Amino acid sequence: MESQTLSPEKLRKKVVSRGIRNIKRGTVDDDSKRGMFRPEIRLDLQRSRLMTESFKQTDGQPMVLRRARALANVLNKMGIFIREYERVVGYQTADPNGIYHPIDQNWKSPRRLANSEAGKSLLDAAGRKELDELCEYWKGKSMSDRHQAALPESLKPYWTYEGTFLWSQLSELGIPNYEKLFKVGLNGLIAEARQRIAEIGTTIPVDYVEQRNFLEAVIISLEAVIAFAGRYAALAQKTAAAETNAGRKRILEEIALTCGRVPAHPPQTFVEAIQFFYFIHLVRYLEYSTLGIGVRLDHLFGPYYENDLKAGRITREETLGILQLLWIKLNELGLVYSPTVSSVYGGVASLQAVTIGGTDENGKDVTNDLTYLTLEAAKSLKLIEPSIVLRIHEGTPEPVYAKAVEVIKTGIGYPSLFNDEALLPLYARWGVPADEARNYAVTGCVYIEIPGKNMMRRSCGYFVLPKCLWWALHQGVDPRTQAQHGARTPDPAGFRGWEDVLAAYAQQVTFFTTKIEQLERINLELYTEFCPRPFYSAVMDGCIETGKEARKWVYPSMVHHFLQVIGGTNVADAITAIRKVVFEDQRVTLPELIAIMDRNWEGREEIRQACLNAPKFGNDDDYADAIAAEVQARGEAAMEAVKDRYGYSHRGDGSAVSATYGLAQDTPATPDGRVDGEPFCDSTLAPAPGKDKKGPTAVLKSVSKISTVQTFNHLLNQKFLPRFLEEDLKPAFMGYLKTWKEMNIPHIQFNIVDRQTLIAAKAQPEKYSDLIVRVAGFSAYFVDLSAGLQDHIIARTEQNLT
Amino acid sequence: MAPAIANGGDSGLVFNIQRFSVHDGPGIRTTVFLKGCPLRCLWCSNPESQDSHPVLMVRDINCKGCRACLPACPRGAIAFGAAGRTIDRSNCDNCLQCVAACLYDSLQRCGSRLTVQAVVAEVLQDRLFYKNSGGGVTLSGGEPLMQSRFAAAVMAACKQEGLHTALETSGQAPWEEMERVLAWADVILFDIKQLDAALHQRTTGVGNATILSNLRRAATVRPVWLRVPLIAGFNDAADHIRSVALLGKEIGAQKISLLPYHEGGRSKQNSLGRPYDFQEGKAPDEERLKLLKGLIEETGLPASIGS
Ligand code: SF4
Ligand code: SF4
Repeated sequence: MESQTLSPEKLRKKVVSRGIRNIKRGTVDDDSKRGMFRPEIRLDLQRSRLMTESFKQTDGQPMVLRRARALANVLNKMGIFIREYERVVGYQTADPNGIYHPIDQNWKSPRRLANSEAGKSLLDAAGRKELDELCEYWKGKSMSDRHQAALPESLKPYWTYEGTFLWSQLSELGIPNYEKLFKVGLNGLIAEARQRIAEIGTTIPVDYVEQRNFLEAVIISLEAVIAFAGRYAALAQKTAAAETNAGRKRILEEIALTCGRVPAHPPQTFVEAIQFFYFIHLVRYLEYSTLGIGVRLDHLFGPYYENDLKAGRITREETLGILQLLWIKLNELGLVYSPTVSSVYGGVASLQAVTIGGTDENGKDVTNDLTYLTLEAAKSLKLIEPSIVLRIHEGTPEPVYAKAVEVIKTGIGYPSLFNDEALLPLYARWGVPADEARNYAVTGCVYIEIPGKNMMRRSCGYFVLPKCLWWALHQGVDPRTQAQHGARTPDPAGFRGWEDVLAAYAQQVTFFTTKIEQLERINLELYTEFCPRPFYSAVMDGCIETGKEARKWVYPSMVHHFLQVIGGTNVADAITAIRKVVFEDQRVTLPELIAIMDRNWEGREEIRQACLNAPKFGNDDDYADAIAAEVQARGEAAMEAVKDRYGYSHRGDGSAVSATYGLAQDTPATPDGRVDGEPFCDSTLAPAPGKDKKGPTAVLKSVSKISTVQTFNHLLNQKFLPRFLEEDLKPAFMGYLKTWKEMNIPHIQFNIVDRQTLIAAKAQPEKYSDLIVRVAGFSAYFVDLSAGLQDHIIARTEQNLT
Repeated sequence: MAPAIANGGDSGLVFNIQRFSVHDGPGIRTTVFLKGCPLRCLWCSNPESQDSHPVLMVRDINCKGCRACLPACPRGAIAFGAAGRTIDRSNCDNCLQCVAACLYDSLQRCGSRLTVQAVVAEVLQDRLFYKNSGGGVTLSGGEPLMQSRFAAAVMAACKQEGLHTALETSGQAPWEEMERVLAWADVILFDIKQLDAALHQRTTGVGNATILSNLRRAATVRPVWLRVPLIAGFNDAADHIRSVALLGKEIGAQKISLLPYHEGGRSKQNSLGRPYDFQEGKAPDEERLKLLKGLIEETGLPASIGS
């Protein structure tokens, strides 16, 4: 079908970035005067309004049905529109520049934000008034209220962020089983749910009522989604009738047809498959505030594209155009974060990633033409989302590497490369069967998941490992308040070597992981009771079959909850420095060193220098690297010692987001020579900034000594000058990538930008509004970051060329 | 004065081992920089390499004024005044005793005696990268042929390990010294600065007769890449570059690299306490570089800029 396509440049102008500025750094203000959002962005209240309206009407009914009806009310009544260039439709707000907030989860922080300097452009006076009224209803009923009310005294000091961890309320990830959805359509799921109701109607299981309520809620939700698509079909039909331009009229008629078919029925064409996916994705965001995507784009949509191509229904160019339109849609999603959470999400909109490449469940490479088109779409648009995850394995074809390098070279920070060779053994240790593991995808950052099998995988929060070390050096006592906040570990005066420091550190890690788990346990129990997700449960494996909502059970082999750990390198370098300066060179005793750090090195600069000059991770130096390997493995084991309500271990994860900057504020000086509040090392594997003196090959060598299988899915960010990716150096860069793969390092991504450009962009943001940088597992517009975070990124080592 | 280096085979004076070199031959390489050089090019980008003994390098920007270096200097060459810490270079004999006293990397040693094994061990660290990128090891300087026995021993050991080897040379050495190293080199990166002998003499301190004769001989035994450090107004005339290209063609060079002048040498000269008397140094502009590259390519030789 011929279409009126907009150029990538024009398309880009259609969307206003939802990236947020990190207006806080832990407990202190960070550039909040510049606002959290771009000035065009509005807080859209319709979801809150319609949800609240429904909740007022359903008081007294079972919660799962209330949630389903509330979602249905939103989908039935929310304002919808189709923009003049669209071919894939659906909005989460009534305003093209809108974002929403999950009032049912937390009303306090959005209200505080909307009434503050940092968020004043989000609402006008009438909007603020309405928000106040809506909040009134949710007082005592929002999940955050319920959680706080339920906390026992013993946990209260840990619920409030004080620097060791930022427990996070928000995200449940997971990836719907799109393959199945595309086979049966939502009608198929509804039929399954009806059948299950009929079945339990004769077997009468002990939880019959609960199952029945859940299954009815599933049907209500799915029917609402189909009706929602129907509203778009009707709108497209109406608009088409009035349209005079023949080309546009055809597109509108196509939209009407598509939305009439999907998601009720299985998609038959590429456009239908994309639209199907987008409705599900959108409703997932409307039911519950969430993040990420996770589809294996080439693997999932490739067959539809190829069929259309064969049948002459589509051209390659047109497919690229549809992908570009989808990219624009994904950039329309965003939500409000609390100011404290903004410390870790500097520049983030919705942390969405799509996965390409890798193998199917039998180990066969999945590359198809859509793999290349996905990369091409990203390259043509240069948007912060979706980030592209490229799975690399033994059989990755050479041209995929070449195309990836072409996109990396633009400086957008992706595709980021995931190494199947390193990750599959890790999933095996996690107990994921090999065929399921080979189907893994990444939702955002380095959040790893198995499509359809992860009901509600959660990031439980950001875990500041250097603070655990700090507690270990203070026997868990805060020297300022004398409160016993951490574990009572042995007196450092009695430590005989660095191994004793490591043991105390591991004990603190387990102690705080236990606290996180306790908070999480109460939270999950409350979410199960008060915030069920019938829609999301329906699109995952096993829930309809068992009649159970996603949180009531877990898929046997699911990849489970994780903690986003930061500062592992700082802990490693700190313990190395203790070994060198205290136990080997004996320049000071350990208690002396601790006292010096407690005064933030004041008057003892020579000791700080000695610590700074001790061997550092990242130089291919076994002295430092062996300790780092041990610190990382022991830290992971210390987390895994703590089990969640389902009996699964807590685990680390490399998605540090901007927390290495944002949450470093509240950790005093550490023995690696770091001063009070100084940012931590970037990502979970990066060497200390400026301390990787031997260049990028030595960095990879050091990193390869950290065992992925004994730890977790790390993130590694490397920065190169644009020069290094130019044509004549391509063999060198390709050689670097292949060595990365052979060394079994799980992940790598690149910042390709020179320092001068960043410095110029900080000074003149108006000229660089499109400049993208890789922050952690996501890309962001540089101008959207706080000044402090900008400096942190400028300071990261640029791998020099000689 | 520290003794000048002897040309022994077991160990040598090295001032840097640079991993991840991508401009000194094919692929990802490790470049070993040997100290000592018979030339004194006005534009030298590695002036710390010139002397055949370790030297003190000073980075004023790192100095915290802590005065720890003051008592460490046996000659009283260090002083503190309005301009902060100063070093009287005429009185300094590069004994390097002050280096250990400085915690802030403001006083640095340039040049260490390393054994062949130590150098090769470091080079082998990146073996996997060489394999995957078609890289290897490059010996550079200074002029590596000033330590030809050591250079040959390092090259031979690398060759035995199966690495690709490159020699980067100014060509200014007795033929026997060059031959000794060439035996182990897979490729020679040969610098050609100026074909006019008088101009060469004036700007580098030596004529180019030996260099050109070595080039012709070397080219008969090993593949050669020519490298021309380009300085605007000095050697970037079209005629000159065309002549270099024709020479390259004649001797069967595989390619010619144009290396535009950069200011790196200036700050290093300052760190060595020497005046930098090459104020007129400038790189040809982009357009000119393209034109010169084109001139070379016209002769049928591949050309590259910067590596
Ligand atoms: S090297 Fe340092 S200690 Fe030795 S003479 Fe020079 S300034 Fe003094
Ligand atoms: S010891 Fe180093 S930092 Fe201190 S005054 Fe001397 S040069 Fe400066």
